Amino acid sequence: MSEPAAPPGTSQPDLTRTGPGRLLVAVYALFALSASARAGVQIATKFGHAPVAYLLSAFAAVVYILATVTLTVGNPTARRIAVLSCSTELAGVLAVGTWSLADPAMFPDATVWSGYGSGYGFVPLVLPVFGLLWLSRWSKRARTKRATVTSAQDAEDAVADGRS
Amino acid sequence: MNGAVPTTIIIAGLALAGYSLVMTALNRRMTVPLLAAVGVLEILLLVEVGLVVAKLASGQRPASLPTLIGYLIATPIVPVVAAFWGLVERSRWGPAVIAVAGLVAAVLMVRLHEIWPVIHV
Repeated sequence: MSEPAAPPGTSQPDLTRTGPGRLLVAVYALFALSASARAGVQIATKFGHAPVAYLLSAFAAVVYILATVTLTVGNPTARRIAVLSCSTELAGVLAVGTWSLADPAMFPDATVWSGYGSGYGFVPLVLPVFGLLWLSRWSKRARTKRATVTSAQDAEDAVADGRS
Repeated sequence: MNGAVPTTIIIAGLALAGYSLVMTALNRRMTVPLLAAVGVLEILLLVEVGLVVAKLASGQRPASLPTLIGYLIATPIVPVVAAFWGLVERSRWGPAVIAVAGLVAAVLMVRLHEIWPVIHV
């Protein structure tokens, strides 16, 4: 079944990697690269020095890679994984940020998420928020599409349901 | 080492970022002059990598050699990937990607100095 054309007046990009998503994917790729490199060097050269910080760096790297790939692919399954990645990232930066301030002894060396990402200009804190905002546009659009493909009566019902 | 090259990179990176953001604000796509500016930034970064490699070749070592090598590999890749990613985007968000590359180039120079203070900024 072919997808219905976007309603006139809406000029949304077709894919999660286009438009503002292009910028989002670029910044995610940057953090995927820097977090992976940082975790790789730390774990390979001095793991015993701050194991908790280094394992968290590695976890952050995995989350950034996952978000980069799923935002680039952008099909419905990938978008669901992307929402999960961005949510995990937001929870992670808030939890690790708080933890690193409450118990600095656990973090003799910084992670990407220490101090809410203060070592990276707080980008790690705002990035998942923009990611989730961007992804939420797609879920709204999917709901609109579902309403469009059903019969006129159903569509009216869907709109009425949406309003109620 | 003379800090002229990293200082130039910081100024050029910030200027490129500022110009790109103006392009995004004006709803412009990627242009040839913008692409040429990315090329200039790339050449400057390659010169800086060459200077750092020369310093390593002369026998000096930073506190963390793996970190420095990671930076030397990643630094010249950034503008190339950004140029590609910005070119495939046919909207105002292409220049926005270039703005990120400019900012990153400036930040990388500051970080290089932190990793190895003999690299003056």
